[in-house]
Amino acid sequence: MKGLGVGYRRPDGRLGPAVIDAAFSLAEGESLGLVGESGSGKSTLARALLGYCRPGGVITSGEILLEGEDIRKLDGAGIRRLRGGRVAFVPQNPLSSLTPHLRVGSQVAEAVRIHRRCGAEEARQATLELFAAVNLPDPAALYDRFPHELSGGQRQRVVISAALAGEPRLVVLDEPTTALDKTTEIQVLELVRSLRDRFKATLVYVSHDLNVVAEMCDRVLVMLQGRVVEQGATARVYRAPAHDYTRRLIAAVPRIDRAAQAVAPAAGGEPILAVADLAYRYATRRRWPWSRGADDGRPALAGVSFAVAAGETLGLVGESGSGKSTAAAIIAGLIAPAGGSLRFAGKPLPPLASAREPATRRRIQIIFQDPLSSLNPRHRIEAILARPLALFHGLAGAAARKRAGELLGQLQLDPAFLDCYPRQLSGGQQQRVAIARAFAADPDLIICDEITSALDVSVQAQVLELLKSLQRRSGAACLFISHDLGVIAQVAARVVVLRDGTVRETGATAEVFRRPADPYTRTLVDAATRGYASLPDLPGTSAAANGTEP
Amino acid sequence: MRIDPFALRKPAALLGLALVAIHLVLALFSPWIAPFDPTELVGGRVDPPGGEFLLGTDALGRDYLSRLLHGGRMALFVTFTGVVAAVTAGSLAGIAAAWFGGTLDDVLMRLCDVKLALPGILFVSLFITGFGESFGVLVTLIGLVYFPGVIRIVRAQALTQVNLGYVKAAQLRGESAFSIIAREILPNTLDVVYVEFAIRMSHAVLLLSTMSYLGLGLSPPTPDWGLMVSEGVGQLAFAPWLVLFPAVFISTLVIGLNFGAEALAGALGLDASRGHVGGT
Amino acid sequence: MARAFLRRLALSLGVVWLVTVLVFVSTEILPGDALQVSLTADEAAQMTEDDFARRRAELGLDRPAPARYAGWLLAAAKGDFGTTIIGKADVTEVIAYPLRNSVLLGLVTALVAIPAALAIGIAAAYWRGRAPDFAASSGAILGYSIPEFASGNFLILCFAIWVPVFPAVITAFTKDPPSVLLGAAFLPVLTVVIGSIAHLVRLVRAGFIEALNSDYVERARLAGASRLRIILRHALPASVIPALNSAALYVAGLLSGIIVVEKVFGYPGLGLVLINAVEKREVAVVQAVSLIAAVIVVAMNLLADAAVMALDPRARSR
Repeated sequence: MKGLGVGYRRPDGRLGPAVIDAAFSLAEGESLGLVGESGSGKSTLARALLGYCRPGGVITSGEILLEGEDIRKLDGAGIRRLRGGRVAFVPQNPLSSLTPHLRVGSQVAEAVRIHRRCGAEEARQATLELFAAVNLPDPAALYDRFPHELSGGQRQRVVISAALAGEPRLVVLDEPTTALDKTTEIQVLELVRSLRDRFKATLVYVSHDLNVVAEMCDRVLVMLQGRVVEQGATARVYRAPAHDYTRRLIAAVPRIDRAAQAVAPAAGGEPILAVADLAYRYATRRRWPWSRGADDGRPALAGVSFAVAAGETLGLVGESGSGKSTAAAIIAGLIAPAGGSLRFAGKPLPPLASAREPATRRRIQIIFQDPLSSLNPRHRIEAILARPLALFHGLAGAAARKRAGELLGQLQLDPAFLDCYPRQLSGGQQQRVAIARAFAADPDLIICDEITSALDVSVQAQVLELLKSLQRRSGAACLFISHDLGVIAQVAARVVVLRDGTVRETGATAEVFRRPADPYTRTLVDAATRGYASLPDLPGTSAAANGTEP
Repeated sequence: MRIDPFALRKPAALLGLALVAIHLVLALFSPWIAPFDPTELVGGRVDPPGGEFLLGTDALGRDYLSRLLHGGRMALFVTFTGVVAAVTAGSLAGIAAAWFGGTLDDVLMRLCDVKLALPGILFVSLFITGFGESFGVLVTLIGLVYFPGVIRIVRAQALTQVNLGYVKAAQLRGESAFSIIAREILPNTLDVVYVEFAIRMSHAVLLLSTMSYLGLGLSPPTPDWGLMVSEGVGQLAFAPWLVLFPAVFISTLVIGLNFGAEALAGALGLDASRGHVGGT
Repeated sequence: MARAFLRRLALSLGVVWLVTVLVFVSTEILPGDALQVSLTADEAAQMTEDDFARRRAELGLDRPAPARYAGWLLAAAKGDFGTTIIGKADVTEVIAYPLRNSVLLGLVTALVAIPAALAIGIAAAYWRGRAPDFAASSGAILGYSIPEFASGNFLILCFAIWVPVFPAVITAFTKDPPSVLLGAAFLPVLTVVIGSIAHLVRLVRAGFIEALNSDYVERARLAGASRLRIILRHALPASVIPALNSAALYVAGLLSGIIVVEKVFGYPGLGLVLINAVEKREVAVVQAVSLIAAVIVVAMNLLADAAVMALDPRARSR
């Protein structure tokens, strides 16, 4: 590939460049990782390898040579033979990428028939073989299922088997495991690797996750704002990054093997929050107007107990469906638990926020995952910050504005943002405003519910540092919820591991991650440490330093 | 309102806004613009257009231009009043249904289902049979016809808000239901409400003129385009302008309202097609 | 799937029951009664209190409202809608043939409008932002902006008066066989199709664009599937679901259109019966027509729900 340029048509009709002058070459059997943060153009570049752009996009320049032939010069039939035949594509989200009204078997068989030009029965046999090749259990039964009836991992296997239908030479994978849980991710990665060995295919692997790329790819290509800033052998790039951006990117990766400067607990004293035997069940949807919401659903939480000491950060880690966000909602007072007790600062805590004293409401604050939707788009930042200041501290007018400006300053945001609307800010800035709003109440406990999972790595590192410094200054305790062990390792002194609504393991973070006692925790730790071998062993303190520390 | 200026500069949007503006001016100022009294018998029967009476006269000898200019006044007044009532009440009920849920939500949703089962014309006919065709009844009926639809749309929009972080945050601050609705939810549903108003206006104008045409809406001698079409149908073969002129007036008003609604929706980044229901 | 459908069926029956309450309350309870609204001022002035009481007793209006509602509902369930006040005709007989004629008109209209809307909507979505899309979108707005009584009369002017291809006024009788009625129904069908197709076109277009932009269509394209295969197999079934979900609105719009064109063209259907009944305040007829229309809308909606379940496996497990 040489000098490739891709542009997207903007609303005003002009072309905005998405990929600028990208060039690389790939030998047969090699695997190349495309890494970069959101909006860097890596997915666009990957799709261009199949001569395809998303609606509105145009390949503006350059040539894409596949075995010496420029695919931009192919006609319609030629490009269809290419797609799925010589170059296959594995998309990011397996659920939305399978046609919802077609049985999964027939979708794979369709790809088989297109590229092998065979009959229906033969295609069915080939599909069953492909299902077996991707380790799907009971292929014959799965053949007739619909996509929504499969688990996430199964769906991704189906999508991979469809990509293999045409026996491609080159497979382009666009963040194939991002939508999956860590434990499922490992299995899928394992599968991709074994298939690569078996089919001798060349891989282009797009990911934002440097660990995954380190594990899967011989070579890596780093993209920033549509440009390729660095490429080379994975081990070389990771250990000795030449470009400043690559260096920052690698430094920002949260790692569990680095000594974290977690916020330490205040000496002794009673825990600020104590949770005992917490239980919760999802009410099933009411089927009939007169029926009560029956609680035959599986418990979201059962017998969960933990305590947060004043001033400390407790990490709550688990995969999706582990009940960690439910626990956050209960402690915040959004939903009432089905059982168990909550104690806050030594006193019983009423279940719902509306039943709590105003002072208690002030002392417990929560920050949500999605920064944009946690700020009202119709209010200026000033109004967003002024509301808790007025409600909890009686500040109004110039005094409130002054305090709001100070809060922004503490989060390294320009006080001029006070007059902006949330949409004018970037995701990281929005999340910092949400943190400022929580600290505006001057709380004793902050609940952080996956607050960085919607952010890019470099932004994540900055937000975490700011959170820690604010916390140190104010002495607030923090319940930090995340699926990412690396993030937990950076902020939390102690950790609670949740799975299926029960506590699997509790202890000091470093200890738990170094010597997990529970087999499930061990799986999580194994998954999180993959790819570490090729990462540089910087003798380091905090991974996220690089000038973000105030 | 955050308006995207690009969407308003499209020709269709400009056409729509211009048509609505022209009709508004005519409706407001027709008593001063119209050359004759719209109900006075001033000329011969069915005089053709041209001459003293620019657009001719109707079967009773009334000046047709004056009647056309006055023809939108009553219809716009009735529909505007009814639709404002429907949109205001429907928005509040829709947000309340979304926020409080439970029995209130169930009751309002069943109400919508019932209204959905009865076409507008039948709904109006039903009540007119019992209550007659007075001005008050017509305004109330227009309000009732569009009330459930507005509830449904606004409720759907409000439902997208209730689980968002800023609403949860307000809840956790201990804000009252009124404050949450007024400060957090309402401002984020207003765009939908504006578009809904424009769409319902176009429907209401169509519905009322259709009812008048069928003899079940405004009654003579009120100058009204729907009535004028039905009065002119008898002379369709030899005086087609008696039907064509009022038809053009109604159509341009409704086209203007629809293009306007579309433009407004586009400028606000919404999709108007979801709100368009099968006419009258 | 059977469970989900039964649930919808039960909800639909509930809606029909609520409609009966609405129909009864709106016409019989609030201002005076059916007798008063059916009389002109002159007739009312000539009658004494005793005359009123006697007529009321004859019509059964002296019983309390809940009892009358129960009696009306039970009779209506058996197909008996009472008798007209003027002429004492059996309402069921009055509406039987017009109902057949209107259903005929509606079926033919739907058979023309639905395939046409699919074709136009898909074409507009496929060439979105280009000439066919612009034509379809503008046409759609014109279609539902021009009232049926205006477009119907315009068609009469064009195709019956200026170029006399069709008769201006339908000369068919209420009890003519379907073939005669259909022969006369060309312009009425055309009018309703123009008026009602727009909404469907927009829904199909929006649904199809959404399907074309979906991840699964992208995956199918990148697996080398041809355009035709993508449209027919992957995008089409999903794209008609939004249109099916608003079937109730479409059917209601169709019924409104039919009422109007029956008046415009003098087609002997239920719409004409309804308009005459409202003018003469024949409460029993208005009630019967409203109820039948509501049952039709609800039944069509149920049918559309079944179609959605057939097309979307996710709807079945809900």
